[in-house]
Amino acid sequence: MTSRKRVAITGLGLVTPVGNDVATTWDAVLHGRSGGAPISVFDASGFPVHIAAEVKNFDAAAALGDRRLLKLTNRSHRFALAAAEQALQDACIRPTDADATRWGLTVGAGMMGVDFADLAGTQVHSAADGELHSDLLLTDGPANDPVAFCRSNCAAGLSLLTRRFGIRGYTSAVHTACASGGQALGTALKLIRRGAADRVLAGGYDSMISPVGISGFCLLSALSPDNETPQRASRPFDVSRNGFLLGEGAGFLVLEEWQAARKRGAHIYAELAGDGNSLSSYRITDSPPDGDGPIQAMRQALWSAGAMPEDIDYLNAHGTSTGMNDRSESAAVKAVFAPNVHRLAVSSTKSTMGHLIAAAGAVEVAVCALAIRDGLMPINANLRDVDPDCDLNFVRDMPRRQRVRMAMSNSFGFGGSNSCIVLRHPDETDTALERGS
Amino acid sequence: MSTPRIVISATGAVCSGGKNPGDIFAAVRDGNSSIAPIQQWDTTGWPTTTAGEIAGFSAREMVEDRKLHKLIRRTDLLGLYAAGRAIDGAGLAAHRDTLAADAAALFSDRTGVYVGSGSGNFENQYDYFPLLAAAGGSLPAFGRELANTVNPMWLLRSLPNNVLGHIGIKYGLKGSNACITSHSCSGSLAVIEGMEALRNGEADRIVAVGHDAPIEPQMVLYYYRLGLIASDALRPFDVARDGSVFGEGAGALVMETEASAAARNAPVLGYVLGGGEVSEATGLLAIRDDGDGLARAILQALDNAGIGAADVGMIVAHGNGTRASDASEAAAIRTVFGGMAPPVTGFKWSFGHLIAAAGILEATLALEALVQGVVPGVAALNELDPECAGMPVSAQPQVPRSKVALILCRGFGGTDAALLVSAA
Repeated sequence: MTSRKRVAITGLGLVTPVGNDVATTWDAVLHGRSGGAPISVFDASGFPVHIAAEVKNFDAAAALGDRRLLKLTNRSHRFALAAAEQALQDACIRPTDADATRWGLTVGAGMMGVDFADLAGTQVHSAADGELHSDLLLTDGPANDPVAFCRSNCAAGLSLLTRRFGIRGYTSAVHTACASGGQALGTALKLIRRGAADRVLAGGYDSMISPVGISGFCLLSALSPDNETPQRASRPFDVSRNGFLLGEGAGFLVLEEWQAARKRGAHIYAELAGDGNSLSSYRITDSPPDGDGPIQAMRQALWSAGAMPEDIDYLNAHGTSTGMNDRSESAAVKAVFAPNVHRLAVSSTKSTMGHLIAAAGAVEVAVCALAIRDGLMPINANLRDVDPDCDLNFVRDMPRRQRVRMAMSNSFGFGGSNSCIVLRHPDETDTALERGS
Repeated sequence: MSTPRIVISATGAVCSGGKNPGDIFAAVRDGNSSIAPIQQWDTTGWPTTTAGEIAGFSAREMVEDRKLHKLIRRTDLLGLYAAGRAIDGAGLAAHRDTLAADAAALFSDRTGVYVGSGSGNFENQYDYFPLLAAAGGSLPAFGRELANTVNPMWLLRSLPNNVLGHIGIKYGLKGSNACITSHSCSGSLAVIEGMEALRNGEADRIVAVGHDAPIEPQMVLYYYRLGLIASDALRPFDVARDGSVFGEGAGALVMETEASAAARNAPVLGYVLGGGEVSEATGLLAIRDDGDGLARAILQALDNAGIGAADVGMIVAHGNGTRASDASEAAAIRTVFGGMAPPVTGFKWSFGHLIAAAGILEATLALEALVQGVVPGVAALNELDPECAGMPVSAQPQVPRSKVALILCRGFGGTDAALLVSAA
């Protein structure tokens, strides 16, 4: 462990349902101002669920600064490009010709999706009766438009980001559903530790607030049906919780080898200190009631960070607000942090932002970095009656002012992938380095 | 710095050329191509009509559990098949069955799964066509009729990480994992990330698998419109080459630390020595003429493995048959190896381009080549393109210079990956 390189978080960028930058998002999350509202990006009035946490007042042309990029990007790519730009500006560094090959990119990317207008266009032309007639595809508009293909390709986000910022090193996109963003950060941590990159732009982006995206979750009954009270719909760990609130957005972080960051005088939010990931191997959508799977991910992240459970002051829980996840996660937290679980402050900021799916993990790690910077823990909004199965030490009603030595962020995905990321206060890291460990 | 070797204890593969690495390799070695007219839809009137489809494809043959068929797609069936053969071949589950309960649980926690996935294709989106037709352009009607029309499991069928989740469930594996969706480099990246997880002590054993099934009408049409599809055959490095041909399938490796392999007396087929991957930062489709990215990926892999260019005994080129890729690949090989390149071959002419599965399936075949001591000739090569001059590629079989093979892979987004494996 002692010879391991350490990794500094030196830049943050956020585009979320509660703010199109870091400061606005952080203020809303701290105080639990919900981003939930009726869906506005399409007419969802006939859907079983017609609320979501949308990114609001996002001026894509201004955020991208390049109108030509609009047609090459879908909604989630625009969030990604904007959040990545913020993160690089915040870090006061970006790839140059001299060091571009030492910069990496890791992203948690949303599922490949065809723009709904393109899908509907192809249906009208090539599947008027509901069945695809492949001969008609030959004269179909969207199906012959390379630009539509580029937007839908799984490598689109990755290629837009590497080209835009001139990143020429290790590049990878991961998709493990709701664990994607956390796993992208874990991959980035490992790249710097093993010397495959000196700096990594890492994050996640997603937008499933579309007719097909909402449909997918509606069909699984995963979303809260509280259409009349969208701001209360996401209430992780509350006994009355009934599903998640679908969000969208992007979070990006600039990660650097610690000494290099110190040498250039960078502001360091926190050390990205540990990564753990495991498979639940239970069921594709269900979480094991005893927390098996998440337990191993959390323990591995502690091991990777060289930390003990009592070193962690704040846990940003996965806390989706579904019955099963929150119960399973609580069981896992109790197993890992026993017998001192009540010393650990816990909140799920999905209570405010909703569930950003492939972006969630990255956004929530950024939230942990801000908690460490400010010594402030954001609240678990909408928590009135704590589920007796989830009796953790929640940050409620008011943000909690307390120095955060280390923070932990959980992300668990459909398919059973569990990601856990651990962050350390920069002073703690410097102290450890002075001690020579 | 010493670079511990990672043992390959078993492989699995499926594509149009066969249902295991040995058969697929034999077809390549014997100069046979399984690229044929597309059967999955009527291609009458189509400008391109061939691909490496698995003939007589049977979901049941790929995955016995019929209940699972409704929850996953063709690409997932292929991935589960290849991974299953590798896991069985390595005797992972059989070994765990001999352990006491605690040791068995630890074995599961210390066995990870790394997947390179094609990340969703167009067909799953077509599941909404009947609903769109019924709704007649009205979104409220679409919303109201949703539950009556679309399979409730639609989202699960569409997940890019299905192979990861279902391998875990079927074999009870719970360790370190990832699902990589980086287009054609996905499978190679699964090997690289799995190898590094083993070196880093995150796991003792890793199942790495790459899978893809890109042969569907809208995908073929897009690639054709982009000028990437051959008029009839894939001819890597040939002066007359005019594009690529899709294949479908999956490749899988079981990788272990030397300690894990020794402890359970595992078969040792070979080793993963190292890997590298870079971006050219050129956008989704463009690639650099000078092969800069691929050359850097090769150098990174050599450095990662702690070996020199002269140690490489054979190269499995990406050789996708497009004008730009093959020419720049030849440039990259010249940059790294000068006039001293070992025998070069490519496999895609025989069974097509497997996109996310290409790199890892070709790694399983490279091992076969090293074991048999044969670098297969490229039967589709008639006349080497002067742009690719100096490449020791031939229609005739060659002999590897050592037990080490370099496997190259290139994907959209200007990504280039290089893997180094050796025979035992």
